[in-house]
Amino acid sequence: MNTLLQMIGIEKSFSGVKVLKGVDFTVGEGEIHGLMGENGAGKSTLIKILTGVYPGNSGVIRMNGKEIFINSRSDAMANGISVIYQELSLIPTLTVMENIFLGQELTFGKVFLKKKEMHRRAEQLIEKCRFDIKPDDLVETLCVAKRQTVEIMKSLLLNAKLIIMDEPTASLNAAESENLFKIIRNLKSQGTSIVYISHRLEEIYAMVDRLTILRDGAVVGVLPREQIDPVTVVRMMIGKCLDCAEHTVHDAASEAAVLEVTNLCSETLLDHVSFRAYGGQILGIGGLVGSGRSEVLRSIFGLDHYTEGSIRYNGEALPRSAREVSRYGIGLVPEDRRNEGLIPLLNIVENMALPNYDQLYETAFVSGKRERQLGMRGIESLSIRPGDPNIRCINLSGGNQQKVVISKWLQRKDLKVLLVDEPTAGIDVGAKAEIYEIMRRLANQGCIVIVVTSDVEELIKIADQILIMVDGKVFQQMRNENLTQDDILLAASRIKRKEPDHAN
Amino acid sequence: MRTDNVKRWARMAQKPLMLAALIVLMAFLAPGVFLSRSNIASILMAVCIYGLMVCGTIFPLLNGGIDLSIGSVGALAGSICVLVTLRYNSSVGGTVLGIACGLAAGILCGIFNGFISYQFAVPAFIVTLASKNIIYGIAQNITGMNTILSLDSKVMNWIGTGKIAGVNFTILFFLFIVVATYFLLNHTKFGRYTYAVGGNAKSARFSGVKVNLIGISAYAISGFTAALTGIVLSCFNRQAVATQCSGYDGDVLVALVVGGVSLAGGEGTIQGAAFGILLMGILNNAMVLLGVNSIYQDLLKGVIVIIAVALDMYVKNKGNGLSRNIWNRARRSAVNS
Repeated sequence: MNTLLQMIGIEKSFSGVKVLKGVDFTVGEGEIHGLMGENGAGKSTLIKILTGVYPGNSGVIRMNGKEIFINSRSDAMANGISVIYQELSLIPTLTVMENIFLGQELTFGKVFLKKKEMHRRAEQLIEKCRFDIKPDDLVETLCVAKRQTVEIMKSLLLNAKLIIMDEPTASLNAAESENLFKIIRNLKSQGTSIVYISHRLEEIYAMVDRLTILRDGAVVGVLPREQIDPVTVVRMMIGKCLDCAEHTVHDAASEAAVLEVTNLCSETLLDHVSFRAYGGQILGIGGLVGSGRSEVLRSIFGLDHYTEGSIRYNGEALPRSAREVSRYGIGLVPEDRRNEGLIPLLNIVENMALPNYDQLYETAFVSGKRERQLGMRGIESLSIRPGDPNIRCINLSGGNQQKVVISKWLQRKDLKVLLVDEPTAGIDVGAKAEIYEIMRRLANQGCIVIVVTSDVEELIKIADQILIMVDGKVFQQMRNENLTQDDILLAASRIKRKEPDHAN
Repeated sequence: MRTDNVKRWARMAQKPLMLAALIVLMAFLAPGVFLSRSNIASILMAVCIYGLMVCGTIFPLLNGGIDLSIGSVGALAGSICVLVTLRYNSSVGGTVLGIACGLAAGILCGIFNGFISYQFAVPAFIVTLASKNIIYGIAQNITGMNTILSLDSKVMNWIGTGKIAGVNFTILFFLFIVVATYFLLNHTKFGRYTYAVGGNAKSARFSGVKVNLIGISAYAISGFTAALTGIVLSCFNRQAVATQCSGYDGDVLVALVVGGVSLAGGEGTIQGAAFGILLMGILNNAMVLLGVNSIYQDLLKGVIVIIAVALDMYVKNKGNGLSRNIWNRARRSAVNS
């Protein structure tokens, strides 16, 4: 395999702190190269240097053996390097064709657009890659997975030789991810190289030819495909062996609190959902994206309207507005923490205090002192870093942001139920373990914890009871004892291992 | 950490420094006149009337909205106040009733703006642009497009020109409203929720904040201070006319933006806005003192606003790489070639 990209001895410091300490990184032609590491290991910095967002302090970048200098995104593109970011950079109100040609329109005399020609080229490209879209589709009508394919087309049109994908499956469901993998393999077969960044180990095993692992700004290993296995990778990433202790199932005490959901129906999706969650236990809800998991949480929290059914806490019906439910002692940690969980411009203290003003101050006036105490308590108990309460949440890492969102609710004196949607999406291994511990601690205090997650490994690891949803219905509820990932995945695809043809 | 603190201080001190520089400069350019007691009083008188509006209109802006109807609300409230007062023969009770009616009208206008904007999710720009015309229309109707004189109400005359300890009541009242706004924004739950809604309405809702109530209240406050402005202006002029306060909306927004209040919501302080008000007031005064031909005054004012805001944004974005800095770019391309 010929070497396409070579990065040698890349170093980078931010205000005196070395974040990259002489990183070497090579990608071969037509190779799918994985890049893994905890948050803060230096993955994004490396990619940003490669794409001209930051200048590197020292080091050499070579493409096909020739040294290149990348000082801006357009330099990177000119050298055949393109990135597909987590936040897609498409313009929703334009069509697919307009988007892929944006900034590189075909023109007569630099002024008038060659619309027919562009349309034809777009069609060719779609056909060649076997994408399921049309050039005239409006981007805002496309789902996330299809938008991603538009991004990929945009790169291909620039004759990208190297496409960098940063967590491309973060917002895709299983089928969409599978489709993306097909596209990636197809690109590979046409000689395009891919740098694939992901936190999801199983994707890395399935996809990559080689894997580079970063820790604390240095390369700790480059593994060829056959040497990649979960234990090695995790150990290299975090520098220690994760405690793979046997999971113990916690049973609810007989006098434990109970949240009872009965025959919950919504206009569009939920179909007679019933279950019980007990204090002292963590109830995990699994299933595919779109199976109604988040909607159940949102209904409990009073955000989504439900047409039928009831939700009771110890026999008492819950109110139906987010404000009243939250004042009742139920907290929601939403999936999209940046848009729904936090106020990014406000600092840690102000975010934590937000749902708790009714308990902090009896009157309409606030003094600041109690807010601060509450903030410091939250920072200490969840070891949020950096521990400066005046830092704006936008400047925290994903894991610490998540801790702030959870901590908002932990500060409520009367917290009865915590609903958590995708607790660890985009969060590094170390912070994950801390968040699991926080949830377990909360359950041990007698709270009801309900967790929705797409990560099967996580589901098995943390839940005492597991509920699988399919198409807005509860497909199966199981006690998390001797369950394997297979059992969960099969159930999510409507197959019950024990009673094969009994469908709800 | 240390450099962060220095930066924070630099940012906080930036506006007072600009103001101080302008004052020192003017003290040299117009010696004896600029710093005279009467000139200072005239600057403050000039800014304090629309300054009242600024204190209320900051609320919708912090929520991520905007209020363009404030000028019309001022006209309507002033007209109602004078008409009611005259109807009761300018008695003390009649004047108090007139003021109350004017303020109530302002609050109602604000609630209308907020209700339409939040309950029907209509952009605030559109709602308040339209309600500006509606409210102006009502003011025209009730005044019959006449200038209505109110020379006899003792209460109104005192509000307009009365003094406490040698300082105009209006100026003191303005300072009081600034302090009250500071208190409301920084020491009440309502203030906290205002910043939260402006920063991210969705997650505020997910934290149990009544977003619509906070939003509508913000417009009600904006309507209230706009009405205050209109009434104070009528007291000062001893008359009401449907065209009074027209153009104030522009001045108010300029003062807010120059004062560092973000049009995107969630950012800005009343202290900053107060500096914005003073800066614009001193600027207007300076141009008159220096004898700048009036045909250049608007032009200069516009240029200065752009410089002030661009500088503010530049300092703000310098650290986070958002600034599209031409020097930076030049340096990069030099490295590249």
